[in-house]
Amino acid sequence: MKQITLFALLLLASTAWGQNFTVTGVVQDAANGDPLIGVNVVLPAADGTVQGTITDFEGRFELADVPKGASLQFSYIGYQRKEAVIETGGPIIVEMLADAESLEEVVVIGYGTQRKRDLTGAVSLVGSETIEELKPIKIEQALQGTTPGVNVTQQSGSPGAGLDIRIRGVSTNGQNAPLVIIDGYQSDLNTLNPSDIETITVLKDAQAAVYGTIGANGVILVTTKSGRKNQAPQVSYNAYLGLQESSRLLPLLNATEYALLLNESYAAGGQDLPYPNASGLGTGTDWQAEVFGTAPMSSHDVTISGGSDRVTYSFSGSHLDQEGIIGGRKSAFRRNTARLNLGIDLADNLKLQVNNIYTYIDRDALNESGLGSVLFNGLNAPPTLQVRDDSGEFTLVPNTPGLGIEVINPLAQIANTFNDYDLNKLNGQVSLDYTPAEGLTLTGRVGYNTSVSRGKTFSKELSYGGKVFDVTRSRVDQNTINDNNYTLDLYATYVSAFGRNNLTFTGGTTVFKEFGRGLFASGFDVPNNDWAFADLSLALGTSPTGGRDVGSYAYDERRLSYFARAQYDYDGKYLLSAMLRRDASTKFGPENRVAYFPSFTAGWIISDEGFFNPDGNFNFLKLRVSYGVLGNDQIVNNGYIGTLSGEATYVFGGALVNGTAIGVLPNPALQWEEAKKFDVGLDVDLFDYKLNITADYFINTRDNLLISNIPVSGITGTSAPGAASPTVNAGSVQNRGLEMAFTYKKRFSDDFRMSLGYNFTTLSNEVLSVNNGTGFIEGGAFGVGQLAPSRMEVGQPIGYFYGYQTDGIFQNLSEVEAHPSQAALGAEAVPGDLRFVDINGDGVITPDDRTYLGDPIPEVTMGFNVNFSFKGFDFTAYTFASLGQEMVRNYERSLSDVNRLNYVLDRWTGEGSTNEVPRVTTAATSNNVFSDFYVEDASFVRLQNVQLGYTFNLPWRNGASTLRVYGSANNLLTLTRYQGYDPAASSGAPIGGGIDFGFYPIPKIYMFGLNLNL
Amino acid sequence: MKKIIAIRILPVLILLLAGTACEKDFIDRAPLYSIDSENYFNAEDDYYNALIAAYDLLQATYVNVMLGEIASDNTLCGGESATDVIGFQQIDDMVHTPVNSNLRDIWNWMFAGVNRASYILEFADKTDFPGKTQILAEARFLRAYYHFELVKWFGPIPLKGDARFEVGDEASLPRAPVEEVYAAIEADLGYAVENLSENAPQVGRASANAARALLGKVYLYQERFSEAATILENLINTGQYQLADDFAGIWEMSGENGAESVFEVQYSDAEGAGFGCLQCSEGNVAVGFNGIRNYSGPEYDGGFSFNVPVEEAYNAYEVGDSRQDASILDIEAWAEETGATYGVGYEHTGYYNRKYIARKGDSNIGDQNLTNPNNYRAIRYADVLLMAAEALNRGQISDERARQYLNQVRRRAFGDMDHDISASGAALTDFILNERRLELMGEGHRFFDLVRTGRAAGAIPGFVPGKHELFPVPFEEIQFSNGNWQQNPNY
Repeated sequence: MKQITLFALLLLASTAWGQNFTVTGVVQDAANGDPLIGVNVVLPAADGTVQGTITDFEGRFELADVPKGASLQFSYIGYQRKEAVIETGGPIIVEMLADAESLEEVVVIGYGTQRKRDLTGAVSLVGSETIEELKPIKIEQALQGTTPGVNVTQQSGSPGAGLDIRIRGVSTNGQNAPLVIIDGYQSDLNTLNPSDIETITVLKDAQAAVYGTIGANGVILVTTKSGRKNQAPQVSYNAYLGLQESSRLLPLLNATEYALLLNESYAAGGQDLPYPNASGLGTGTDWQAEVFGTAPMSSHDVTISGGSDRVTYSFSGSHLDQEGIIGGRKSAFRRNTARLNLGIDLADNLKLQVNNIYTYIDRDALNESGLGSVLFNGLNAPPTLQVRDDSGEFTLVPNTPGLGIEVINPLAQIANTFNDYDLNKLNGQVSLDYTPAEGLTLTGRVGYNTSVSRGKTFSKELSYGGKVFDVTRSRVDQNTINDNNYTLDLYATYVSAFGRNNLTFTGGTTVFKEFGRGLFASGFDVPNNDWAFADLSLALGTSPTGGRDVGSYAYDERRLSYFARAQYDYDGKYLLSAMLRRDASTKFGPENRVAYFPSFTAGWIISDEGFFNPDGNFNFLKLRVSYGVLGNDQIVNNGYIGTLSGEATYVFGGALVNGTAIGVLPNPALQWEEAKKFDVGLDVDLFDYKLNITADYFINTRDNLLISNIPVSGITGTSAPGAASPTVNAGSVQNRGLEMAFTYKKRFSDDFRMSLGYNFTTLSNEVLSVNNGTGFIEGGAFGVGQLAPSRMEVGQPIGYFYGYQTDGIFQNLSEVEAHPSQAALGAEAVPGDLRFVDINGDGVITPDDRTYLGDPIPEVTMGFNVNFSFKGFDFTAYTFASLGQEMVRNYERSLSDVNRLNYVLDRWTGEGSTNEVPRVTTAATSNNVFSDFYVEDASFVRLQNVQLGYTFNLPWRNGASTLRVYGSANNLLTLTRYQGYDPAASSGAPIGGGIDFGFYPIPKIYMFGLNLNL
Repeated sequence: MKKIIAIRILPVLILLLAGTACEKDFIDRAPLYSIDSENYFNAEDDYYNALIAAYDLLQATYVNVMLGEIASDNTLCGGESATDVIGFQQIDDMVHTPVNSNLRDIWNWMFAGVNRASYILEFADKTDFPGKTQILAEARFLRAYYHFELVKWFGPIPLKGDARFEVGDEASLPRAPVEEVYAAIEADLGYAVENLSENAPQVGRASANAARALLGKVYLYQERFSEAATILENLINTGQYQLADDFAGIWEMSGENGAESVFEVQYSDAEGAGFGCLQCSEGNVAVGFNGIRNYSGPEYDGGFSFNVPVEEAYNAYEVGDSRQDASILDIEAWAEETGATYGVGYEHTGYYNRKYIARKGDSNIGDQNLTNPNNYRAIRYADVLLMAAEALNRGQISDERARQYLNQVRRRAFGDMDHDISASGAALTDFILNERRLELMGEGHRFFDLVRTGRAAGAIPGFVPGKHELFPVPFEEIQFSNGNWQQNPNY
């Protein structure tokens, strides 16, 4: 209806040709009458040309040569668009409504869009403003603390390291990552330049069912920036320089403390003192200080966008360079991107959209986590050693029993690490929207990703003096990997209204194919033993006869889907939608090739009801309910076929011979995981739209859990070289929780505005069944040669920690004698040892006494965000808290001569000395078995970003050009009782996550930057 | 208007329908570059390639060999500290429990070997070609080898016949009694003796005599002396083997697959390896573990100082026995002589297992401690002679022939006939068993020789009769069996 009026007005305007005059006016905020600066004012002409201007510092504009009856269009970021028909030269007053008060915002929901007001699913949005404020290096970081129900963990603080996103908890011990759709096609987040993103939409409930077998982990829809029609060219340039340092250093022993502790430990073990004279050792070398450095980073990006009445465009380029806080350039990350977005109206009913992104990534990495990592060596190297000896060479960590063969000089390790990884990637889409008749749109779209990466690692011939890192023959390993996929969508959208009934029907098909290959090769005897010569073309040495120095793999996976969705509403008040998707996928066995996924959502806008009589405080109230079944097919390829991919190498006649052996055991009945998602939610706007509350309660049940490499009896031969256990649909997990988000925006005066955001998510995870005969699955690793510390078990949270519960320290011999024997754990207890609880009460401590010791799943996560602006100043702070999760301290090497954390200074030294930390000794003890002594509370609160900026108005474009300068700090403060580097780091593994092998800590970054808008 | 719409929509509908029609073609694609395990054995090469896979697990027996010594009175566990490879330490001290990742390795790896051999036998009839019997006989020899290891370590084990174990078998198949396991082993070895070539087709593969030797040993373990004596003497009478003149030379690279070698597990230094998959190494992992801690000097490479011989074992040799210094390295004397340096590990005795410590000069690709090329001399002719002697003596068949075989071994050791044994009866038995210890020092036989002759309790500190004859079934396996299997007595 509105369009028709507009059309009529336009017609009127064109007939009124000849009566041109100059229009002046003021654009104001409708809520408070504040002038709006830099509003686009354009007058589209019938011939396609555009005339336009921008409002000045006082919101004023002036536009010459406007025909009477013409319609001026006003657009401004954060406000609804507005049109005004010009009858006089003015001055006219144009009032614009802020988006905050707008439920008209259009949200991408997958194969279509919906007004925010009409949404019936649980959806979270992150806009470009939030991304600009948070300055994430990788886009995943912008979701942490800003979107309830979404938890982001960083695998490592090293530049370019991956991040894991979990939507509403961990539901599977397979792939938990959500589906990522960029402008309609399946892709991934980790190569994107954050400033290319306009909005991120997170589908958390059954709304995602339109994605069927790939939607069970939730869906993240990314819309990249595009130009706007009838917009003068806009240039924005953003840059910052940053300095990074470690967010934490661990309290280690200094040389004197170390020597004295060793003496005590050796004495307790009945051995000679290693440091008979510990005086004069001083503090020695602080290896952590030597390993960590201050590292620079910089980022630049520029975007040019605009449009005429038929064409929109947006180009951008970016450059990011980040060095590591460990190793500097040896762990550097560089990312360059270029992007082009074009929208062309080929005809009134035919619209073309083209979007292409080129990405180049260069990443170098150090050995990061676990035994043998640089940090591990930094923590364990004795402080009594110098970094370099008198001749300037790196000191060797002695090859002694107490230091093992894994601990080496971490600085020598950094110096001897040589590798390089380069990725070239092109992704994008071309889509065509055709509207053959009113209400009907046909969309055809091809999205693609194609990338080529090259990796190279050089192992220099060197000796650390008999350590496992010694290399007796130099070697270079090279690989090249090509990955491709395409998504082909064909679908129709039909919109119809009859009376107060509105119906939108969407139906179509999606074809997805991914394919690629990898090639690997190694060469020996690198000339000059030098990185500069490390290439297969020069390293001509080969393995002895029969050895294979090459390898390859290839894959080809496909999915064919059909979907249909009906969205109905009556009077915009009662909203219903139903979806059905059918998927056929090569991931599943022939017995289960095809899957159907139905879902339903409903909404009721209570505030539109006559009986709902708001006292003036309630502006909007909507109730939502959704239920649906979704799938997860993220499993090993060809898991239903038994392949001869095992390793079969033996020696006949003195030379290696290669045969064939069974690899991973097959499971022909393999099928998708089934996620049943229920959600009930409320959207509320209060106090003149100043306060917005969104609340959701959800129950997600995941059935037929796909469990890869499920531990099975060894009699099946799964421990043979190259063999593994099958992938089995063998479990069920439920996540329940409550999500709430509050946003409060208030303008105290023209100069002083504030917005506060707070959100929290509670999560309760429970394994409902594990169908492998034993009722549990084990995973993870603790120490060396110990039982698995993590379990997925019925009635417990997935991946909970399973070990011995302690009950203080044996203070004297009579306590030891009064307690059940602990000999089965490795050694008989003596005073000073940990006392383990006899859980099953059978009078002896055995592995059967292990029990729940905690779990790595946070009970509550929350985000609190503050935004103030006063005159030209703006201040932003984002905080994130994660409470109730545990982490396992597993970065200590249990060797007699390694350095220790200073908590050992409070160890047991005699009766009554402590009930917390056991004695030190070189003799055998059971103190090293996995117990709650190693499980720590890893709750934390982190100030993710704090930022202060000032905006100058520049004299161009009627004063709408601005320059903002700011100072910012990321990860400035972390409050936690966790002793390790980073309570937020995790391997992300569902079973075996939350075990700290010495995570590379997330850096603290101080930034200074500018945003220039011309 | 409606007509126009219909015309415009038609192509889309056609496309959708076309898509449906293609679904089968699109989705039913063959996996790229993979061979289906259930659709194999179509040519001779397929059988040969699968046979290589069955041999592969022999390399994983390094841990059986090491622990056969560590568990015995010959060596201490050693290593870096009291907690270095805790599973080894506990076995050395006879305090091991069902939770022991090293025992679990033995269980898993030997069953992997059984399954790879059974895989060939499962498809024995699929394709015919000349020479198939030889391959099937080798597969049965290997299955017997792995089964024998399993029955030695764990006693009763599940048996599946000529088929691979499947997931779920652990909860339904019983642990077959030891007698049944031995019967299966004897059937396999009987077939192997009949059908294996007298000369192995390639160095490293099993010959008929390897099967005879193993069968003789299997009989001996069951104290079926007359059958043992017969089959072992059959082997001796083939005249195919003789004792190497230079005992020390056996243990060098040049001594591999020599005149005395009846069956040898082949290792190579040609491929790298890592701690993540020790069973994947083509090298002899035990050699690096046995190696001299923090060693720097001639002839040898370093290692982790496990499995260190005790002084009593070194002193068990008589004066003039060439095997003493060929079998056990006195590191202090060696350091004094050559200026070599070494570290002192846990339970340092001053002695190393010289037969299986790393030698200099191999290419040592990858982790050099895991890729030593030293072959394991699994069945030596000297062992065969001593087994024959034992069977003849203990079976009261012929002490004379027993002495004859025993003294062959002693004459090589001493280089003269002055040390010949002339005892008979029980006294001769003691001499033979003592000779086994001296001759086979460090080769992984000692623990099982003590157990099968009932002499473990007095010799091994901490050995509890009625318990330690068998090792415990891995804790995890008992869990998987879901009540189907009982743990071995007293664990």
